[in-house]
Amino acid sequence: MTFILESGYAFWNPLIWIIVFVVVMIIVYFFRRQGQKKYKKDTEQVRIFLCGEEVPEAGERHIRVGNIYWGFFETLKDYYNQILRPHTGIINDYILWFVAVTAVSAIILVIAGLLR
Amino acid sequence: MAALITHSPILIIAIPLVAAFLTSLIGMASSRARNTLVIASLVFVAFLVFALARDVVINGIRVYTLGAVSPEQTIPTGFMVPVRIILEVDGMSAFFSIIWAIVSLAAAIYSLSHIASETGQTRFYTLLLLMVAGGFGMMFTGDLFNLFVFLEIASISGGALIAFRTKFADTQEGGFKYIVVSAIAGLMVLFATGILYAQYDSLNIATLAQVIQYTTLDKIALALLLVAFAMKTGMVPLHLWFPDAYSVAPASITGMLVITSHACMYAAFRVCFTLYGRVIDSPVVGWIIIVLGLLTMFVGVTMAVFQKDVMRFMSYHAISQLGYMWVGVGVGLAVLGNSALLATYGRDAMTGGIFHILNHAMYKPLLFFTGGALFHCTGTRDLTKMGGLAHKMKWTTILYIIGTLSISGIPPLNGFSSKILIYESAYQFHPILTVTGIIVSILTLASFTKAFHSAFMGAELPEYEMVKEVPKSMIIGMAILAAGIVFITLFPGQIVDWILHPAADALVNHGAYISSVTGVIP
Repeated sequence: MTFILESGYAFWNPLIWIIVFVVVMIIVYFFRRQGQKKYKKDTEQVRIFLCGEEVPEAGERHIRVGNIYWGFFETLKDYYNQILRPHTGIINDYILWFVAVTAVSAIILVIAGLLR
Repeated sequence: MAALITHSPILIIAIPLVAAFLTSLIGMASSRARNTLVIASLVFVAFLVFALARDVVINGIRVYTLGAVSPEQTIPTGFMVPVRIILEVDGMSAFFSIIWAIVSLAAAIYSLSHIASETGQTRFYTLLLLMVAGGFGMMFTGDLFNLFVFLEIASISGGALIAFRTKFADTQEGGFKYIVVSAIAGLMVLFATGILYAQYDSLNIATLAQVIQYTTLDKIALALLLVAFAMKTGMVPLHLWFPDAYSVAPASITGMLVITSHACMYAAFRVCFTLYGRVIDSPVVGWIIIVLGLLTMFVGVTMAVFQKDVMRFMSYHAISQLGYMWVGVGVGLAVLGNSALLATYGRDAMTGGIFHILNHAMYKPLLFFTGGALFHCTGTRDLTKMGGLAHKMKWTTILYIIGTLSISGIPPLNGFSSKILIYESAYQFHPILTVTGIIVSILTLASFTKAFHSAFMGAELPEYEMVKEVPKSMIIGMAILAAGIVFITLFPGQIVDWILHPAADALVNHGAYISSVTGVIP
């Protein structure tokens, strides 16, 4: 049993990546061990410091899914407006798409056959 | 053991079918006995599938004729063509059946706890086993009419399972949409079968492949078959029903529905490469598949990033990943008629596409199961209401991370192995395919990171103070698939040599499939 995958142009060996990953983890662990040793659990040390401001409750400070990648969606607003249009939720529309794609595919195949 | 392997093609279909009806009887007496029967029958079927696959890799295609004196006797004495029902298992069928066996077993184990609080569990397991039988039937059948029959069995049981949790209104709508789409697809398959039968007086795929002329009617039949199966796999722009149905099913069933999509993909490959393999205008059909595959990848992932419902999010990703498979196999099909290009990159592209099917069959049900675990614990699919769940659901979090890294193609996980094969070979065909694939991979990682942050990261939320990790059987179901991911990650070369090359070669070498039934090499 070998770990190597020949891709036709190069090779891929997951074992090398796993070894690299383990080495990096050991290095990270080493640096972590150099850190502050006077840390005490369940004391004032574990409280979040927010420039002296009052820290909001857990539910309020969690960034919800609707706020993530806002800029991405804003930039691609026009694309999303177009792409959301066919997603009507109506089964009749879905079947119309099926009919259209079948018709176009059949026409392409028949015309390509005539040209062959 | 030899007799068991000889009869294994029919046993693999018959055992879940018989167990489905026994389940309803035993379920009346004891739920524990019913669950044992379901799991035991699926374990035995998985054993048979692996034994049969090994036999196919070593000895070549296995043919099983129902009602014949000897299962290998495909053409009865005094006849010129096969008239009996024939099952034919080659490398491709064996490959898909392995996937189906593993995922259905994992889904059944996962279901033990996942649906434990639901009513009508006996009916659930009966339908689950019927769906398993239908899936295996689609993969093994050697004739078009039985392909339609098994497609219907899998679709009807799948539709009923989507609508199983009647307490939720959206499940009924999802089940209805699935049934309508499946009925239309099934009807078109039947229509195409009729077109071919009217011209060639046969339903057997091998016999039809030998005599097919590629007339205008044949081309229309090809379009009907290809688009019907493409719709069942959720190919863009026929994907619209997919998230509506998949997101509302119990998570274990959603995992299985992904594999029924693969079964339809198998049927499409069988049609293009075997049934029409001798006459097909492969560059044209290949390009149609590639263009729709690229659309599927891109539209799927951009819609997924947008989602706030965890199961709809997973569903759109399933669509997107199916695009990779279409592109990989489409490249192989496009160069099928050019043996030099096929040898240079076509076979590798097909192997990559098929490899991605295997990987997808492991990580996608796993991710659906983690989505189901979130719903099981929080009672919502809405990601905006989740947060901090990693504190309470450590196993689910770890399994979600494994699935996420795998689907995003992050080295060293298995998703990377199949994607690198597709990227390298598709680049030779046209660089835009690889560029699109890489962009889709980046967006996949970005969207899974978003979902991970929303559901698992952050401080513990007060509303989920009482949440506990999911029951053991659900973790075992997910762990089986995670173990599959780890195995494929570690031994990609072996997987390619043992399973994927025989599967790709089975598609290219349609002559072997035909001669196994007709005895004539085309």
